[in-house]
Amino acid sequence: MSLAPVTVVPADRRDAPTTGTPRRPDRRSRANVPLTVVLALCTLTVLVPLYVTVSMAFKTTSQSVDGNAFSLPSPPSGSGVVEAWLLTSFPRGFAVSVLVTVLTVVGTIVLSSLAAYAISRNWDRRFFRWSFFYLLGAMFLPFPVLALSQVKLTGMVGLDNPFGVAVLHVMFQLSFSTLLYTAFLRSLPEELEESARLDGATTWQVFTRLVFPLLAPMSATVGIFAFLASWNDFMMPSLITSAPELQTLPVLQSIFQTQFSNNYNVAFASYLMSMAPAIVVYLFTQRWVMAGVTQGAIK
Amino acid sequence: MPPTLTTTSGMTRRMFLRAATLTGAGLALGACATPGGGTATLTFHQSKPEVIGYFGELLAAYQQEHPGLRVRHDSTSNLSAGFVRSSPPDVGCLNYNFEVARFVERGVLSDLSDLPEADRVNPALHPLVELTASFAGRTSVLPYSLMAAAVLYNREIFDAHGLTPPTTWTEMVEVCETLAAAGVTPVYGTYRDTWTIGQGLFDYCVGGMVDVDAFFRQLRRQGADVGPDSPVSFQKDFREPVERMLALARYSNPDAASRGYGDGNLAFARGEAAMYLQGPWALTEIAKTDPDLPIGAFPLPVTDDPGDRKVRVNIDLALWIPEASPRQEEARALVQHLMRPDVIDAYNEFANGFGTTTDAPDVAHPTLRDLQAYYDDAAFYLGASQLVPQAIPIHNYAQALVTGSDPDDVLRTLDADWARLAFRS
Repeated sequence: MSLAPVTVVPADRRDAPTTGTPRRPDRRSRANVPLTVVLALCTLTVLVPLYVTVSMAFKTTSQSVDGNAFSLPSPPSGSGVVEAWLLTSFPRGFAVSVLVTVLTVVGTIVLSSLAAYAISRNWDRRFFRWSFFYLLGAMFLPFPVLALSQVKLTGMVGLDNPFGVAVLHVMFQLSFSTLLYTAFLRSLPEELEESARLDGATTWQVFTRLVFPLLAPMSATVGIFAFLASWNDFMMPSLITSAPELQTLPVLQSIFQTQFSNNYNVAFASYLMSMAPAIVVYLFTQRWVMAGVTQGAIK
Repeated sequence: MPPTLTTTSGMTRRMFLRAATLTGAGLALGACATPGGGTATLTFHQSKPEVIGYFGELLAAYQQEHPGLRVRHDSTSNLSAGFVRSSPPDVGCLNYNFEVARFVERGVLSDLSDLPEADRVNPALHPLVELTASFAGRTSVLPYSLMAAAVLYNREIFDAHGLTPPTTWTEMVEVCETLAAAGVTPVYGTYRDTWTIGQGLFDYCVGGMVDVDAFFRQLRRQGADVGPDSPVSFQKDFREPVERMLALARYSNPDAASRGYGDGNLAFARGEAAMYLQGPWALTEIAKTDPDLPIGAFPLPVTDDPGDRKVRVNIDLALWIPEASPRQEEARALVQHLMRPDVIDAYNEFANGFGTTTDAPDVAHPTLRDLQAYYDDAAFYLGASQLVPQAIPIHNYAQALVTGSDPDDVLRTLDADWARLAFRS
């Protein structure tokens, strides 16, 4: 996620040019032009690959290998999309990917917010403090280290399927998400909870009625991180899922990457189809991501 | 918010418990969803992307002939994970390379020697299979399709300059000189993709001069003792082929260092070079740009004896059945079906492969027909770059050679790498 340092001019000062001295707008516009140029160039790093993906997806096979990535499709062709759709059994792969991702996002938000609440409100007890460190410790265990044992274990307990992948995704998201939630919870005034307790609320009610809604911005951030990690993951589903028909999209797409053949139009059509949900989700939720990040950073 | 707090206390806890139960049930259901039950399911692992559709239809037809049997076509699962989990595919049909070699050497593939189909396999291929990997007393794999690679050349350009495919190294140099003098790029190099140098220039020059099979057998016998004083070593036996390789590389396009495989296919299809050192897999790529280009093929002559000309082959697909498969009967029946002459020959015709059985017809592709005689005479070798374990970056060394490293240095490094690896394992 590129969080470029954008200088925001407070609303009350925007009127300054009309009322203030004539030197001030000059200084500001001088300060902003290079920054705008740099930011515009930075957006190219995202927009250019996106453009290539879209145009490549609608080229014919012979045009896609002509060495000219930036040309517009002529004639536009839907054959790449059709072939990618069939080769990956797109609807099924998409459904499995969505299932795994939804389970991961929901599981991560629920479990890590509960854990963070328990930990942050019992910080003075050794058990909770240490369990926090224990959870954080998982951040230092990358999946490849555990792959062999995870493959064996999930196979033994019958979790060599998308559910197992989702469970493992939740587990690997847990430490970082709990860290985010715990930091955020410390900034919530305890007086709010005390007032709820005075009205007779139980701990569970305080959490569901008061704390969890207040955590919403951080939940959005955690959810987005979990979404991206789960939706884009290749290694875990490829190792854990045993039934090929229950495989997720990134793994199904790996058949397009070989050294001997270049089917750019088919590959990019498939990438476009699997990229689209991530982009759409980000477009609709970026407001909360930004809000969540800044709320976590500036108390 | 506070006034409503007290009313729903039991409700929320019950909801939580219910949600927990549902999650648990979901997990249990997921566990039950693993295959099994009524109809027998056979998993067929095949991941060569170009022929996934072909095998899909083949298996669908087989399924119709055998009611009660479901054949699952797997092209994405991770093989190692399947073996670790003790649920490998029932039948594998994969490139016979170092990945499959690991399974062969550990003896997890069942013996297929008692199948009548095993006797139909061309005996000339046995050394190739064994050199890559073997397990004592077992026929672990049945070769299914063979790829033969040589120099592809543009017939139009050769005809325009009155050239014929060279049969000796001297003629090869003459051909290159004639083309270069006429302003035509003799050989198209794609050095950005290291594997194209390894399988092309490097393998062709080594295979055309050195007895690859004998060299690697002796090398393995020597163990860690590889150097200037050992019976065979890279620095002694590969020195001359590497010189020829560098001599040939001088006739490449000047921008070869920045060109990749895709660029090479495009340039050759557009007639920008006369020769291209690639295997049959490039033919389909070239046909994407120009399906009617008349392409011929000849094995690269590296010595001045025309009898030394050989083609580089690799076993593109081989069939195997893991011992851990619970459905040996069905798996063997499927292998036998796939080995049926009409089935295997149709596949090889489709995939530009050479038949691996003694009763196979000649190859169908017009370009590859030029190589049939060499295959029939068993004038072929496995690529040297394929016989070096992947722990040694042989393709990168090949790239270093063509981009100007000192050949003696590189070959000494190769010897040292081999010795270290042999010492470790």
